[in-house]
Amino acid sequence: MTTLTSTPGGAAVRHPAPPATTARSRTPRQGGTILAVPALVWYAIFMIGPVAAIFVIAALHWPGMLQPVSFAGLGNVRTVLDDPVFWDAVRNTAVQLAVALPIMIVCAYMLGYYVAQRPPGHRVIRYLLFIPGLISTPAKAMVFYAALSPDGLVNGALQGAGLGSLTDAWLASPSTALACLIALDVWSGIGFTAVLFAARLGSVPDDLGEAAQLDGAGHWRTMWRIHFPVIRDYVGVVTMLQFLWTLFGSAQHVLLLTQGGPGSSSTTLSFLVYQKAFIAADLGYSQTVGVILFLAGLVGLLAIRRAFRQNY
Amino acid sequence: MKLGKRWLPAHLLVWTYAVLLIVPLYYFLASAFKSNEEIFAHPFALPESFGFGNFTTAYHSADLGPAIVNSALVTVLSLALTLLLALPAAFALARSTGRLASAMEKVFSLGFLIPTFAALFPTFLLAAATGLFHTRAFMVLFLPATAMPLSVVILVQFMRTIPREMEEAARMDGASTYTVLRHIYTPMCLPGIATVVLLNFLTFWNEYLYSLVIIGPDPEQRTVQVALPTLKAITGTDYGVLTAGTVLTLIPVWVVYTVLQKRMQAALVNGAVKM
Repeated sequence: MTTLTSTPGGAAVRHPAPPATTARSRTPRQGGTILAVPALVWYAIFMIGPVAAIFVIAALHWPGMLQPVSFAGLGNVRTVLDDPVFWDAVRNTAVQLAVALPIMIVCAYMLGYYVAQRPPGHRVIRYLLFIPGLISTPAKAMVFYAALSPDGLVNGALQGAGLGSLTDAWLASPSTALACLIALDVWSGIGFTAVLFAARLGSVPDDLGEAAQLDGAGHWRTMWRIHFPVIRDYVGVVTMLQFLWTLFGSAQHVLLLTQGGPGSSSTTLSFLVYQKAFIAADLGYSQTVGVILFLAGLVGLLAIRRAFRQNY
Repeated sequence: MKLGKRWLPAHLLVWTYAVLLIVPLYYFLASAFKSNEEIFAHPFALPESFGFGNFTTAYHSADLGPAIVNSALVTVLSLALTLLLALPAAFALARSTGRLASAMEKVFSLGFLIPTFAALFPTFLLAAATGLFHTRAFMVLFLPATAMPLSVVILVQFMRTIPREMEEAARMDGASTYTVLRHIYTPMCLPGIATVVLLNFLTFWNEYLYSLVIIGPDPEQRTVQVALPTLKAITGTDYGVLTAGTVLTLIPVWVVYTVLQKRMQAALVNGAVKM
């Protein structure tokens, strides 16, 4: 703590606060850290414990809940790497991330910038953008199921527009199943992410953009050259979140909409973890993929962090 | 900043996306009042009559009544337990300056990097081992743990803004640690508590995969999110009933959002920033 006093000469001089005050505020308070212990224990039992268990189970040969368990070492890794379905899942997950993430982040950033400029109707837009963020995964899946089934909304609209030849069984066709899942991610992800960006852009001082415009920069330049660098690290955080949600969350959409099919055309890595554990009952395999997924998540996070590092 | 004529494409694109958000929802709401024939013949028309037949069919065929009660029970109890654990923890971490406390805070913030889904199967084993498999009780115990990182981190930030003098004055009057938490910190960080409650309300009410695996399909126990997809199997392709059921599960969230719109946006934005 420092205090500001005027000297007779008129200049302000900083005096260090009396040491007694500093010492008192540093003494540990009564009933301190122990209050955090219950929360920490709870968290350790239900979160850290199970995550650690993944690594143990991945090293076991465990062909079903009631089957004898034996130590497999790296045997599961070999089984997984030799399985063509695993490589299909790797490819599908890679496609999903490579398509969904850039579209989502770029569109959401531009949309967020738009909303932050408070154009006419921005309140309505803000309200609407949030809706997908509120709807539960099963409800979203039902919306898409009703829209994409053979006699659903999309085909109805195509027929109404005289494009009947383009209709398809979208979710049941190997060439479109994965695309439908990606569309669901993008559809619901853009709005929510845009609200986050709009909120962050709202705290960037107005004169920054105005100064750029006086210097003759258009909105496009202002958006990408002035505002983007300012909130660059925030974009990085949001990208990391979306990355994790897409990587791990896709299991639910796949389970509800396509069950990974037809064939393995829409099997993603996280659905493979679910499917091997709860449908195929190959627990060692499932958790080995879990470990791989976990490591992929970690590598991805580090890569995104690096890509968005502030570089002034 | 002035929005010039060159913003026309931007306006168009944004409103196209807005339409893409509304149309499926409108289709949903309208279909909930229609029969299959009506839906196929005029997908975008307003329903001819506003009967609640589809809603009652959906309600009964998927046992949505008990499911809504179960969801409400799990959500409310989990929220209470979350606050009971997170408030003292945040209080302790916000006040102490020691090494141990900052290490604990780090452990909580690292939790953001653990995707809940990763540990689905081990959690299932834990439920089986504790004898709480196929019960709502396990979810009530489990969900607060998943909410701990976000809740603690947000509450700590709010509690750090409370001036220390408040506590010192209370101490002079002989207040105990518990009194300080109960009568000074808790009332003063109500906005933080509201943020945590709203965020967790959304996550808990919408939770699907864990509820599916751990609570399972028993109509007496299952939550509304688990009951909902069964409509697809039960009703075959009766879209009227399917959409009516979905609309029913959205109502609670919708009401809360429309009433607390500003608050909720702020809460979600805060939550994501802290992540």
